[in-house]
Amino acid sequence: MTHTQAVPRQTVMPLLVPLVAGGLVAVALGVYGRTHAPTGFAVGVAGFSGPLAMKAWLTTGAALLAVVQVLSSLAMWGKIKVRGTWVAPLHRWSGRIAFLLTIPVALHCLYALGAQFDVPRVLAHSLLGCFFYGVFTAKMLALPKRGLPGWTLPVLGGLLFTALTGLWVTSSFWFFTTIGVRF
Amino acid sequence: MSRSGPLYTLAAGAVLAVGLGVASTAASPAIQQVAAAQDATSTATDTAGTATDATGPAVAAQDGTQTAPATEVTTSATPEPSDTTPKKADYAGVAQGNGGLVAIAVRNGKAVAYFCDGRIEAWLKGTAENNTITLEGKNSLITAALGGGKAQGKIQVGKAKWRFAAPVVKKPSGLYRATAIVRGAKIVGGWILLPNGQEVGRVQIDGNGEPAPAFVPGTALDYYGVPLSPQDPDAFIDSL
Repeated sequence: MTHTQAVPRQTVMPLLVPLVAGGLVAVALGVYGRTHAPTGFAVGVAGFSGPLAMKAWLTTGAALLAVVQVLSSLAMWGKIKVRGTWVAPLHRWSGRIAFLLTIPVALHCLYALGAQFDVPRVLAHSLLGCFFYGVFTAKMLALPKRGLPGWTLPVLGGLLFTALTGLWVTSSFWFFTTIGVRF
Repeated sequence: MSRSGPLYTLAAGAVLAVGLGVASTAASPAIQQVAAAQDATSTATDTAGTATDATGPAVAAQDGTQTAPATEVTTSATPEPSDTTPKKADYAGVAQGNGGLVAIAVRNGKAVAYFCDGRIEAWLKGTAENNTITLEGKNSLITAALGGGKAQGKIQVGKAKWRFAAPVVKKPSGLYRATAIVRGAKIVGGWILLPNGQEVGRVQIDGNGEPAPAFVPGTALDYYGVPLSPQDPDAFIDSL
């Protein structure tokens, strides 16, 4: 009801539900990945020589779109002098596509392999993966809310970018530098 | 901005995840069934393999399907006449109710085994004595009795249990393993070949497993540009 208040009060209360929901998503993914028996197989995107290559490239696609996310959000917040009606749709759609690109990857990771803690790289990747979807859920649930503190979206968006970058480094970058740049 | 947009985004992701999950559950394991033409090739290779084996030691002792008497005869000449466990034998068969393949190799009291159904896999090692083998691996266990030209017993992988009866097989059928280290990452590949041409295999790289490229004995494989040379149990039984 913004017409009754010139400046909506900013409190962290509306953030409570998104943050709790995000936390539950992250924990649920971790518990699922840890407790279910890995199937070793999941349906993914065809056209790659194997699931490892598929995941490396889809994650790279998402990471590139994440750069678009950061740049377009900087433009939306006036931090870089780019204006246009296309900026906001670019931000929304690049984010949506990036999120959807990660789904086959996460499904293969969680359903086929499960969360593993044997190797530092895999440990970091497992934890970041769960964290990423928790933060994403929180951000999506926070977006429609009004009266949020001004730092909400930059912080959640920044965490998402950081998590996705970490996920890319611990998977795609590892794949490209260990195995090679292969499809 | 539409207020429900972000919720649609979340929902789209969830629907995609569920859809792929359902498809994954429905998809069948990746065990390669042979076409008639391939089967003929396999038989030809089999014959060639037998010819090679004839020149080698002990392997010939496990020839033929009715190997029970042969096994007894071979082992009765060993220093421990009370233990008739084969000194060298290879077994491979199907896990009943799963369709995955089990391969076991016995060498001088040691035993190694590999289970793979195209999706899940397990490497196991253990002992062979008194015609009984007991093998353990990560979350996996095999107990079987040797005799009558086969290894007959139970395999447990995770919470699942299957029975199997794996007949004696001879090269080029049986168990193969390839290892490589590429820039710090350990690659382990496993293959099981049955005399009927059925084949299954997986390759793991730092714990990340995926179906292995098809393997033709005597040839090298290319895994994302990394050359792999699968070896028979003689070569890896001591290092597993």
